[in-house]
Amino acid sequence: MASSSTAKDWLTWAFSPAISAIFATLLISLTLPLLIHFYLYRKAVAKELPTFLLIGPSGAGKTTLLTLFANGSPSPTHTSQEPQSAVCQLPSSARSSEDRYRSENDTSAQAQPKLALLDTPGHGKLRHHATSSLTTGSSLKGLIFVVDSAAVSSAAGLTEAAEYLHDVLLLLQKRHTQSKTSKDPQAIPVLVAANKQDVFTSLPAGLVRTKLEEEIAKVRRTRSKGLLDSGIGMDEGAGGDEETNWLGEYGTTDFKFSQMGEHGVEVSVRGGNAKGDGGESGKVNQWWEWVGGNI
Amino acid sequence: MLDAFEILTTSGIVLWRKHYAPIAPSIVDGLIRDVFIEEKQSPSNEQYRKERYTLKWSLAKDVGLVFVAVYQSLLHLSWVDNLLTAVKALFVKEYGSEVKTGRTTKLHTSRWDATFDALVTKLDTGNEPPPPPVFASQPKRPAIPRKEQVVMDDTTSADATPIPTPDTSRPATPHLLTAKGGPGGKTSRRARKAQNFATSAPASSGDESAAGKASKVKSTAKAKRRWDVDGGAIDDYGDDATLDYSASTSDAVNGDDHDNDIADVSASQMGSRTGKGQFVLKDLDDEVDAILASSRSQKSQSSDPDPSSTGGGGLLGTATSRLTGLFRNALGGATLTKSSLQQPLAAMRNHLLEKNVAREAADRLCASVETDLLNQKTASFTSIDKTIRESMEKALTRILTPTSSLDLLRDVTTTTTGPSARPYVISIVGVNGVGKSTNLSKIAYFLLQNHFRVLIVAGDTFRSGAVEQLRVHVRNLSELARREAVGRVELFEKGYGKDAASVAKEAVSYASNNTGKGGGEMLYDVVLIDTAGRRHNDTRLMSSLTKFGQLANPDKIFMVGEALVGSDSVAQARNFAKEFVDTKGNLRNNGVGMDGFIISKCDTVGDMVGTLVSMVHATGIPVVFLGVGQHYGDLRGLNVGWAVERLMR
Repeated sequence: MASSSTAKDWLTWAFSPAISAIFATLLISLTLPLLIHFYLYRKAVAKELPTFLLIGPSGAGKTTLLTLFANGSPSPTHTSQEPQSAVCQLPSSARSSEDRYRSENDTSAQAQPKLALLDTPGHGKLRHHATSSLTTGSSLKGLIFVVDSAAVSSAAGLTEAAEYLHDVLLLLQKRHTQSKTSKDPQAIPVLVAANKQDVFTSLPAGLVRTKLEEEIAKVRRTRSKGLLDSGIGMDEGAGGDEETNWLGEYGTTDFKFSQMGEHGVEVSVRGGNAKGDGGESGKVNQWWEWVGGNI
Repeated sequence: MLDAFEILTTSGIVLWRKHYAPIAPSIVDGLIRDVFIEEKQSPSNEQYRKERYTLKWSLAKDVGLVFVAVYQSLLHLSWVDNLLTAVKALFVKEYGSEVKTGRTTKLHTSRWDATFDALVTKLDTGNEPPPPPVFASQPKRPAIPRKEQVVMDDTTSADATPIPTPDTSRPATPHLLTAKGGPGGKTSRRARKAQNFATSAPASSGDESAAGKASKVKSTAKAKRRWDVDGGAIDDYGDDATLDYSASTSDAVNGDDHDNDIADVSASQMGSRTGKGQFVLKDLDDEVDAILASSRSQKSQSSDPDPSSTGGGGLLGTATSRLTGLFRNALGGATLTKSSLQQPLAAMRNHLLEKNVAREAADRLCASVETDLLNQKTASFTSIDKTIRESMEKALTRILTPTSSLDLLRDVTTTTTGPSARPYVISIVGVNGVGKSTNLSKIAYFLLQNHFRVLIVAGDTFRSGAVEQLRVHVRNLSELARREAVGRVELFEKGYGKDAASVAKEAVSYASNNTGKGGGEMLYDVVLIDTAGRRHNDTRLMSSLTKFGQLANPDKIFMVGEALVGSDSVAQARNFAKEFVDTKGNLRNNGVGMDGFIISKCDTVGDMVGTLVSMVHATGIPVVFLGVGQHYGDLRGLNVGWAVERLMR
């Protein structure tokens, strides 16, 4: 009984036009929104880091590159089954695009930006990881397509790399051409990282580029002539007319990476090797430079 | 002997490894590719063989770790199972929290070396069958259990290592001494004592004479700790030192050695680590025993028909747990256990069966979903059903997606052009009445549209009217080709009753036109060989396929399967695939036999396209074409997203 009477008293006070009750109510009504705001603000994820996606056929050296970028030294790796993300910091040797106008002699504290690197499995059955993160990632700043420069010299390796690259580029092109808004989606540049340049049988970056271009032209030709997909009519994205499924400039016989510029995709090919002699880190400066320039 | 042991994440990063012998990385890559990704092996098979190695593995799904042990196939190391279990439990306990944070690109696992060596020392019972252990050459002390004998080979290296300074060795000694408690516990008291004397000898041997003060400090420290292990030992301490050092027990030296490693490592690490970095070998022993015992009991439990584990708790208990379960289900964050997964998985399995997926394939899919989800937590605001659906979609996508791309046109183009050009040979097999000839004509039409010259071979020399049927197709196709001014098609037939394999061979040499005049112009680009339909369990008819495959040597062998067929599809696919062996007895096309399936009559089944899954499940051979109608143009490639969407609808 005692407790119910105190509760009654308290309620009577709360609803009475007493000056203390009014102040208490005011205080609560003013501070509560602020508290909620700060609570939510704390909980909300911090600004997403600029993300770079590592893709490429299996065995090209994606995971090795990830560990190299994240730790400074490559770890031994095996075939990946799951995607893996890591936070890396741009080394001081590479200049980020934010620092474009900074003087070389500027000695003031220079915080190198951080970036998230997302490694995806390259095995044929697991590429849906890569394509799904390609279409959903909002803070995606660039794609790093890792190629084994030694494998490209063989027909099978070249075909696999070219087909995968073709599919990825086509996805990027469709993202550009089929965007619903008039505003262009943010451009995603592509770096073709010709890995394993230290291997004796590897091709130099320039040759990798021409070989890939030639092979993509072939892939493009046979794809356009190939059979229709069983998914026709499922949604407008899957089928489409011939032109939407044609990579690059429609009707051209030769494919050049420069044709992708029209669709907001800039492709550059640079060589390097993630693994040096005896487990040391190899030459990846060119790739870091590219990352810095696109961050 | 063990050749290698690796601990890697599912994302492919090797966290820790130890190679006793050089091993190509392709061995472990092969395991991941064949077993985990392509699931070529049945999940019940717990070992994988590649080249001359046998691999055993253990998975920790919740933290995404794979433990792999590699040894030569000639050996039978049954203790490897125990090692895997123990390593998994200990490693997950030690590093699990770090791994779970997701920053697994780098893990400081240097401390693990010592633990692993200790584990191997404890568990290594050698190669069971006859071969005598090479390393048991040292004189035996009768009191020491056999377990410890095995590791003798380490003694020499341990002796050779420089004796540590008192500073580092002292904290290590207690572990060393307590270590004897584990294995020694079962032996007689006297034996244990003797052991203890022996073990303390090398540890204190170091600079006893040189630095008297240090040794004194050491001896008191030791005596104190001795009490913990067994009473009375302290009186005998003085005699210990006089024992000859040469007959040192390897285990002790071993343990000493390891402990020093640990002390060094932990000292070099960042302060706060030190406490954790040291571990007590005795604890390790007990722990390993506990782990192995629990795994053994688990195994025996799982072999029993699991008595309902939800027995206790009473009515009230189950009611509340069910209520919270309901909330959890709606809000997410529920931990998925075997019992909570059981019902929705059974529903999912029924759903798949209704979609005409064979029982075997449905079971396998559900099992893979279960292992994927077991002990996972559902995401927030996600029900268990939804989680299972997503996981099932992933599993279906994985099973249906081909490992390499299937661009028939490009294959044909590369084969028929260039310096070593030859006709591209495709043959089609299948059960009676599934639509072999119809699909052959559809493929011919598709190739004609791409300006190839096609030769159709009537390889069905058995059924009445088969040749005439093909002739009608060829007439229609050549009329179509003439109108559209595309490629050219012709029929190659030798009538009835002849051997299909030799007809096919003749046809190929006719198309390449390199007989007779010695290398004329190639007459046809593609040779399409029709075969007689045969029942897949008729061994007499099936065995002739082997000869056919070897004589005609087609570039591609496609099997036609009906979408209507149901659970028989698994047996069909398997029996056909196993007939196509080369002359050496290996299956064609990297051991899978055929190159692809054509699933006909897809337009007649609506959503029930489960046959696709069943056939791919049975053999790992991808689906290349779908027949979706009655016309020549009604041939489609497979869109995996489409098929998965239909199956899950």
